[in-house]
This record gives sequence, structure tokens and C-alpha cells, in this order.
Amino acid sequence: MRQLFKTFKVAFKAINKNRSRSLLTVLGIIIGVGAVIMTISAGEGANKQVQDQISGLGTNLLMIYTKMEHRGGTHVRLGRPIDKKDFDILQKNSVWISKLSPLVNIGAQAVGPNGYKSTVVYGVNHEYFDILSRELFSGDYFKEEDVKLANKVCVIGETTREELFVDLDPIGRQIRLDKIPFTVVGLLKEEGQGAMGQDQDDIILAPYTTIQDRLIGHRRGYDMIMASAINENTVSDAKIEASELLRESHKIRDFEKDDFDITTQVELQEITGNITGILTILLGAIASISLIVGGIGIMNIMLVSVTERTREIGTRLAIGARESDILTQFLIEAVVLSLAGGILGTVLGIVGNHIIYKLTNFYIPTAPYSIMIGFGFAALVGIAFGYFPARKAAKLNPIDALRYE
Amino acid sequence: MAAKKVIETKKLSKVFKNGEIEVHALTDINILIEDGEFVAIMGASGSGKSTLLNILGCLDKPSDGEYFLDGVFVNNLNKNQLAAIRNQKIGFIFQSYNLLPRTTALENVELPLVYNRTGEFLNPSEHAKKALEKVGLGNRIYHKTNQLSGGEQQRVAIARALVNNPALILSDEATGNLDSKASIEVADLFVKLNDLGKTILMITHESDIAQFAKRLIYLRDGRVLTDELIKNRSTKESAIRELGLTE
Ligand SMILES: Nc1ncnc2c1ncn2[C@@H]1O[C@H](COP(=O)(O)OP(=O)(O)OP(=O)(O)O)[C@@H](O)[C@H]1O
Ligand SMILES: [Mg+2]
Repeated sequence: MRQLFKTFKVAFKAINKNRSRSLLTVLGIIIGVGAVIMTISAGEGANKQVQDQISGLGTNLLMIYTKMEHRGGTHVRLGRPIDKKDFDILQKNSVWISKLSPLVNIGAQAVGPNGYKSTVVYGVNHEYFDILSRELFSGDYFKEEDVKLANKVCVIGETTREELFVDLDPIGRQIRLDKIPFTVVGLLKEEGQGAMGQDQDDIILAPYTTIQDRLIGHRRGYDMIMASAINENTVSDAKIEASELLRESHKIRDFEKDDFDITTQVELQEITGNITGILTILLGAIASISLIVGGIGIMNIMLVSVTERTREIGTRLAIGARESDILTQFLIEAVVLSLAGGILGTVLGIVGNHIIYKLTNFYIPTAPYSIMIGFGFAALVGIAFGYFPARKAAKLNPIDALRYE
Repeated sequence: MAAKKVIETKKLSKVFKNGEIEVHALTDINILIEDGEFVAIMGASGSGKSTLLNILGCLDKPSDGEYFLDGVFVNNLNKNQLAAIRNQKIGFIFQSYNLLPRTTALENVELPLVYNRTGEFLNPSEHAKKALEKVGLGNRIYHKTNQLSGGEQQRVAIARALVNNPALILSDEATGNLDSKASIEVADLFVKLNDLGKTILMITHESDIAQFAKRLIYLRDGRVLTDELIKNRSTKESAIRELGLTE
């Protein structure tokens, strides 16, 4: 134990004697650890942002849509589309679902007093706003009445308002969707980017009946039914129940597969979590390569150092150092260097995250486990790549080492 | 007088094999060196002096024959035991000093104590300072190796060989890199250490340096040619006088 302590001192002295070389050696590790921490944290940060937005959708959310299958390069609908009959059955019979809204969408040319744009118009009912917890900035939602009567009213988002109205107050004013005039009754509160990166404020919502009659031209089927379960604990019950009701409604026999899909918000979170998780691992793996390169740098310098210090090693052996003393000394040198690199790299990573935050406003909380990974990896690299040179040093024949020119 | 045997070899031989070629560096060496002796080893280049010293210093193993150091049968020891013997019983001095570069005299002299596991030397720097004082470098303790002259560096190396209080001091051409004046200083230092009771074995090429010793072993082709006591030992004064005459 005391011997180990002495060897530690010897190793530290040796590092101190070669300060600039030690620093260069460590540079690779610093960059590697910094990169690992920054990439993992960035991945985590992105994941958290996506997850937050999905949670923002409302944890009770269920989405019911017609199953599409990939066949010969195109998407083909399997079986009957989701339609009013399904909607009515769910509304009448479901115990676990509290709110329902059909969703249809169609591309249209939108023209306002101060601008126009090509966009997608969504047709929904009055419950949609509750299901997705979209709040108003001004005006009002359209009502059940508007849906029943297929009134030409709509609610728009802030981005749409800016493009079509610029500086005008939109409430009570008209926009034209494919030449058909709609009165704007409400302006939604800003929401920002959605889970998939889309702008949630670039939106026009109108009664689905109106959209079907005026823009689509028929009332056959919906693109989706959006529903919310009574609370977040009943989402899976609601899913099972809806599935049973729809199978019955679609007359699907026991051995047949569903011709519809039901996705819940929890599942959505899992899926995106998987995607961003894979992304994080991938980024981390790429960053780890730089750590390995850093490790090879350490090995390289240590090998040079062993050759350079051959006579010193010979002297140490001649005056009574054991092979194990030399081995430990060089191993400690390598590990201390890589741990120092680990510490400096951690600082670099944290500072780097902060700089990115300052520059891009993309907040990256430094993931604690990324520090552990970076650090552990640095130590591992030190031992793995330090061992070979250290062994080479310890195995030197003292006589040859002393004679080495 | 039954002095303690420090070195005893019986039919010691060393053969180097380089593929097909065999070099008989040492053949049937029988020497006995007792406590307190001061022996010079001479011989032509390639006669086996360094080979012998390396074996006596436990840096190398003989191909044949037996070696007892301070009563210990060395042939049977493993690597760690040999390292311990080198650390505790032997002080090595080399022609090229072999000091750690950019390191103070003190740290260099402390070095053998770093590897000492006996727990005898609890205050390494005290022991190192004393050793440096013995070789007359009490005022150079914190000088780094590169701030010292060749003669001073060699004296640091001698202090390093002394610090562990060894039974035997081995020197392989310690004066080889030094001028005549510095060589005499080093030889005189050996005499003083020997007067203090140290057993010293030194290889040298220079017969005037060998004359400082008490006994001279002459090697030729790996065998002991002569082994006799020196009658007219040089002293520092006589050597300097002679130096003055030749200049
Ligand atoms: N490792 C080795 N492998 C092969 N031959 C060796 C080895 N070491 C020494 N020899 C040979 O052994 C013989 C004795 O060498 P040694 O170094 O002992 O001579 P020396 O008396 O010290 O000479 P010098 O005065 O030049 O130092 C020489 O012929 C040398 O070539
Ligand atoms: Mg020699």
C-alpha cells in the first residue's frame, strides 16, 4: 500500500516533468469526453423537448384512423374507412371515452385581406379544442351549432393570422378557402413547434361538416377520429373498448385483423422516445470514436515515452525497482492523464452546452449519465491503451535498457 | 582474520548465444571478496569485465557456476528477490551516471529508497542529504542534473549508490567520462568510503586509477589472469603530483 503511494508520487513527478507533452497527450481525451457529453446531452435535450410536446397534446389522447398498408409502392386502405357510423357508435356506447372529434383535411388556397397561402385545412368538431387542449388568444371557438349547420366559420393560428392579416385583427373578418368565404371567429394561443417539428400555429380549423360539403364534396369517411379518455389512467381501457366497438361496427370476424389503428399519446411518446434514443446512441457512438482516437494518442505518446525513457527504466530496475513497480508507474501515468482529460473534457462539455444554449437558445441540460459515460470511458481508454506501453517498459531487460543509446 | 565473505563465486561462466555464434564471455571465474576490500578489475576491451560486474550486481544470471552474495545463494532467486537484493545490498555506479534528467540531486539520490520495501528508511530525504554530504555535494542538493558538472553528476550517482547503505559498491568505469582531475577525485572518494568500511569493486581502464585500490584482478578472454594485492597504492596527493609532472 505504501509502495503504491510511492509509485503514485513517481508517476505524478514524471507527468509534471513532461508537462507540455502530457497536455498534448490529454488533448485527444479532452475533446473526446467533451464530444461524448455534448452529443449525449443534445440527444437527451431533443428527446425531452419532443416528449414535452407530446405530453402537451394531452395525455388522454387517442387517435383512431384507417389502417394503411404498403403495397407495390403506394399506400392502400384496408377495409372500410372510419366514418360517421363509427363515430356515432363510439359516442353512444363508449364508457371510457369522454370527448370525440372527427378529423378531415384537405389542401386549399387560403386568401386573407393582406396575404394568401397554400395550406391544409382541418375539419373538426367543437370538442377538438378540448381534446388537444388548444386555448384561445381572442374571439371564440366555433360551437356545436356551427358543426350541425355546417356554418362557414373557422379558427386560425398565429402564423396563419400573420400571413393572411399581417397587422389586422382577424376576428369577425373573412378569409377565402378555395374561393369560399369563411368568417374567422377565434384566434388560438401560440403553441410553437410540434413534436415532429411542424408549426402548430400554422393552422386553419373549421367545422368538419363544412369542409366536407364545401371543399371535399362528399360526407364519406373521416381521416381520423380524435378522442380523449376520461382520464390518463383509462387510456388503455379506452383503447381496448374502442377497438372492440369498431371491430363490431366493421363486422370483423375473430380471426381477422383490425382494419383500423388506434394510437395513444403514450405510444407516441414511446415511439419518438425510441427514435431519439437511437439518435442519442448513434451520436454518442460517433463521439466515442474520438475518445478511442484519443486513447490511441495516449498509447502512441506513452510508447514514445517508454523508448525515450529506456535508460531511466534501466536505472530504476538496476537500483531495485520490480517489474510491477514500473508497470504500475506507467499505468498510473496513463490513467492519470486520461482522467485529467476526462475532467477537462467534462468542463469542456458543460461549457460547450452552455455556449450552444447562449447561441441558439436550444437548452441542453448536461445529462449526468453522459458525464459518467465520458469519464468511465476515459479511464477505460487510459488503462486499455496504457497497459501495452507500460508492459513494454516493465519487461525491459535492465542491462539492455542501461546500454540503450 | 575471519572476515565476512561478501562475494564468493565458484566456476562462474557466462555464454552469450546469438543464433549459431556462442561467445564465452566468462569462463570458470573463482573469486572471493571479503568485507572491507577495495578491488579494481582491469582487462582489455571485451575481456568480460562488465559481464562479470552485471552478474555480481544481480542484473544478469550466470550460465554456469555458483554465486553467493553476502551469504545468499543468488542462483535460486526469482526476479522480485533479485530486485530486492539490488535495492538493499548493492550500490551501482555507471560510466554514464544514469541520473534522471531534469531532476534534483536530492530526488536522484532518494530514488533507491522509493523502491525499498523494508521500511528502514522512513525519512528518505534525510538519508539522501547525508549521502550527498558524504560525497561533498552538501551545497548542491537542489541543483538539477543538468546544472552539475560531469564529476559532480558522478558524485551524485555515488551518493545514490551509498544511500541504501549497501554491502557492496559496484562501479563500471565510473571515471570513464571524466578528466584526470575529476577521476582522481572520484577515486579518492572511493578510498575514503573504503576507509569507512565499504566493500568496493571497480572496473577501470586506467592503471593509475586502479592503483588506488587494495587489490587488482586482471581479466583476459573471460578468465582471471592475475589476482594480486597492490603494493604501492596511490593517494590523492601522489596522483596529483604525478599529474603535474606529465602536464
Ligand atoms: N548481450 C550480449 N550478447 C552477446 N554478446 C555479448 C553480450 N554482452 C557482452 N557480450 C560479449 O561478451 C564479451 C565481454 O563483454 P563485456 O561487455 O563484458 O566486455 P568488457 O570487458 O566490459 O569490455 P569494455 O572494456 O569494452 O567495456 C564481449 O565479447 C561482448 O561482445
Ligand atoms: Mg564494459
